[in-house]
Amino acid sequence: MMVMERSFKYLDERLGTASLARKTLRKVFPDHWSFLLGEIALFCLVVLVFTGTFLTFFYNPSVKEVIYDGPYEPLRGGHVSAAYDSVLRLSFEVRAGLLMRQTHHWAALVFVAAIVIHLCRVFFTGAFRRPRELNWLVGIVMLFLALGEGFTGYSLPDDLLSGIGLRIFYSVTLAIPVIGTWATYLLFGGEFPAGDIISRLFVFHIMLLPALLLGLVGVHLAILVLQKHTQFPGQGRTERNVVGKRLWPEQTFKSISLLLFTTAVLALLGGIAQINPVWQYGPFEPFNVTSPAQPDWYIGFLDGALRLGPPWDLNLFGFTISEVFWPAVLFPGIAFGILTLWPWIERRFTRDRAEHHLLDRPRDAPVRTGIGAAGLMVFFIMFLEGGNDIFGVLLYVSVETITRILQWGLLVAPVLTFLVTYWVCKSLKRTHLRPAQVNAGVRLSRSASGDYETAALEPASEELEPSSK
Amino acid sequence: MRRTAILLAGIAVLALLLTPATGTATSRGAPGVAAQQQPSDSPALNARGLQLYQNACASCHGPDPNGPSYYPRVPSLKDTGGAAAVDWALRTGRMPWKDNKGPAIERGEPRFNEEDIRALVVYIGKAVGDAQVPQVDPAQGNLQRGRELYGQACSACHGMNGAGAALGGENIAVSLQNVEPQDVAEAIKIGPGQMPVGGGLTDYEYGTASSTQEVNDIARYVESLRTDPYNEGGAPIGGKGPVPEGFVAWVIGLGGLVLAARWIAGRG
Amino acid sequence: MSDSDQQGSERVDVDRQQGHGPANRQLTDDQRKAGRSAGIAFAVTVVAGVGLFVVYFSGGQNQLEGILFAVALGGLGVGVGIWANRLLDAREVVEERHELTSGPAGRQAFEDALAAEVGPVLGRRSMLVKLLAGAGGALGLALLLPVLSLGPAPGNTLKVTPWARGKRVVDEEGELVTLGSVPEDGFITVFPEGHEGAADAQALLIHVRPGSLKLPADRLAAVPEGTHVAYSKICTHAGCPVGLYRAENQSLLCPCHQSQFDVADGAKPFFGPAARPLPQLPLGVDEDGVLVAQGDFYDPVGPAFWDMNRGKR
Repeated sequence: MMVMERSFKYLDERLGTASLARKTLRKVFPDHWSFLLGEIALFCLVVLVFTGTFLTFFYNPSVKEVIYDGPYEPLRGGHVSAAYDSVLRLSFEVRAGLLMRQTHHWAALVFVAAIVIHLCRVFFTGAFRRPRELNWLVGIVMLFLALGEGFTGYSLPDDLLSGIGLRIFYSVTLAIPVIGTWATYLLFGGEFPAGDIISRLFVFHIMLLPALLLGLVGVHLAILVLQKHTQFPGQGRTERNVVGKRLWPEQTFKSISLLLFTTAVLALLGGIAQINPVWQYGPFEPFNVTSPAQPDWYIGFLDGALRLGPPWDLNLFGFTISEVFWPAVLFPGIAFGILTLWPWIERRFTRDRAEHHLLDRPRDAPVRTGIGAAGLMVFFIMFLEGGNDIFGVLLYVSVETITRILQWGLLVAPVLTFLVTYWVCKSLKRTHLRPAQVNAGVRLSRSASGDYETAALEPASEELEPSSK
Repeated sequence: MRRTAILLAGIAVLALLLTPATGTATSRGAPGVAAQQQPSDSPALNARGLQLYQNACASCHGPDPNGPSYYPRVPSLKDTGGAAAVDWALRTGRMPWKDNKGPAIERGEPRFNEEDIRALVVYIGKAVGDAQVPQVDPAQGNLQRGRELYGQACSACHGMNGAGAALGGENIAVSLQNVEPQDVAEAIKIGPGQMPVGGGLTDYEYGTASSTQEVNDIARYVESLRTDPYNEGGAPIGGKGPVPEGFVAWVIGLGGLVLAARWIAGRG
Repeated sequence: MSDSDQQGSERVDVDRQQGHGPANRQLTDDQRKAGRSAGIAFAVTVVAGVGLFVVYFSGGQNQLEGILFAVALGGLGVGVGIWANRLLDAREVVEERHELTSGPAGRQAFEDALAAEVGPVLGRRSMLVKLLAGAGGALGLALLLPVLSLGPAPGNTLKVTPWARGKRVVDEEGELVTLGSVPEDGFITVFPEGHEGAADAQALLIHVRPGSLKLPADRLAAVPEGTHVAYSKICTHAGCPVGLYRAENQSLLCPCHQSQFDVADGAKPFFGPAARPLPQLPLGVDEDGVLVAQGDFYDPVGPAFWDMNRGKR
């Protein structure tokens, strides 16, 4: 189109965009489905930003008391905070408001899930090794930011369920040794329920955390483009090349398709699957509580850790270390510390200082895969415990039984998981199976002395486009 | 072919998981012997009540309702809350006891018809000296006040949306999303099992005007959980909050998207 | 131009020579079929889009809107995906990786640039540099001062509640609580008069069965009639309201992490992660039969913190 050509010329004359654009469009990215997991997370973030912007036009971050006067009859005439009232108004009185709100919340759940599964892919294939340690760090920080965004976000409606979660967060901050009470009073603005916290969470949720998150997304992608993507070993793939499809047109079309599917799935869930029906929970009152009481799934491991935690508080020279410290401060500190420093921890033991652009298959690194599986098992046990009252009702087992089983499980299951995973990796390695390779068969030959010999045939090599003619 | 199969499987999973489920038995039980009035007395009714008691109840509760039961874990009927308790237990199918492990918490199909329930209520009520069966009228109740009271007294165990929860040990606070107003009035009066007598309401005294009004209010709110649950957002996924929601996010949300990714990209 | 660029442009020329340019392409059968499928998918999107307009302007309906958006987006996604995989001339391409490092020469050049003259008095021990460090430190700390304005000092506030000797006991609505307010095996939530709804003052008043309390004598004296015992409602684990009373067992359950407290035994925790009992509130009865507090809770309420047991309350 004439207009497009003229605009492109206009930009190029001033910014020199043409040659940079050409280099970028020709870049090659490998074409494996597991390399799209990070993109799923990215597209969830896109949905979050768009739906979230819509929500900010309606949400009022104020705890000032108002009288509810909307269509949710059981609450009419009741005293609620302005924040809660604004969320109900958006849900019931704004056309497509509830759809946007629910899509936003589903997108948050799937966003963190996609980050976790993307992290697992990176971990189990060893993609964090040199030169990508920095991008691993960036990714881990983004995981924390995503957790923070989720927690601050679902606490904004000031409903009974999230208010209980805020109370627990308050208590966990209190439990930090030495500085706990000060840190809590500064963060919340005083004794619980400090009203300031809702508007402060709002600032974190729409300004501070998204700014950091979006900035780091840029860094994450820039490093990825600069260092080029890793690839699985295979025909024609070496440490010195990248085999795949170009950014334009193939990868762009694929990414657009994935973006559309992501938005479609989230919109579907946002429309037909009810999530966080805050009007049913009612407004937050510090002396009321509802059962069952759980946080969103990605905080569920902390809830489970708190339920599993032993009732041991410590008294040191008159100072108290709360029993909450072990599961809610120490355990996440250690677990996430190991996760963050993993590239350097692994390097210390493998002494592998080489650059890696070819990925490991998980079976090629049995110790790493075993430790990763054991780590996932630890978190999985905590998730299960976090829902122990719900599973208890479902399975006709008491919460005490589930807790005891999982407490023992926490000691035993990770070790078992490591051993089993390690053994499975080793066995798989021994089969020498490689994916997507046709078994070309066996060559039967007869020697001069009359003995028969069998030899495996090499699979037919696939012709790649020659790099030069 | 394979892709179609996966697609169909996905739709099936979606349909399954989004079917409203309440997690506990949803049998509603008989509408209630005290729907209009106190059960009236008559010699035939008493005789029938005695006969039924001896056949169905005495083997556990003892030959005399006002006396001790045969087993330590079985309460004597003089302690359980009188006629109201009998009506409640029989109408909701919790009695006669149909399990051989633990207290009768889950509802079931009532074993007796209305007539027989009335007979037993009259007989046992007379025997233990507490023949009052509560009358409830949710139409007289104030929905907003009911919600407020429910939040103060009931939501801790039963959940603000009535979904129910575990209470530790073998105890469960049952779902209230499908119960009769009569159940509410009776349960508050008797405090069945682990439930506190008076249901957590202040100044609860059976028969007083204020308590009757409060019970009507709460019954009105509980009724609305069944008739008008305001599930505007779609399928409630059990109404149990973030745990089932997280499950759906992983299985349908991320699961669906991983399938999409596999369709879009190759294995290069 | 870099190496890969060179190869790239060579490849384009080769493409043109071999007649693989766009103008010379004939559609294969598969591409024709793919084009049809993509077309249908896009048509579905159009229909769904129209449907969205209809639904929205006729009042809107969340479920329908969600489904229609999903169909519209999904149709487009399917169409673009088909395009990506079957309509494009998608061949695998090889690109060489370039060295990531600048190499020792590059780094040396950078260091040379950085080491340009900064001033005559450089050196870690110079007075000027020390003063600079001091200035930076002082200013840095001073810039943090506004953070202290974010909240008050904790002081004593975590250890005291509005309960005090003589405060009458009321319920959430401010109604006075008497011995008859709670039936046996019942319980209610109470507050000090004038502080209804105060978060740290919330307490449970439980009417236990006579003779069941196992408290030491001085604590039992603060239980009117030996049956009306009051404990803090704030869980000593992580602060949730302990709203679940199991009347048969006379025990409390906290819904957040399933700590369980034995009401008859001073609300001591017997299961779950809580380490300390719920603090008891000493009660008495005034001449009008109204319950009154005889002081604040015996211990600080709520979850533990660093200096909980130090200093006065």
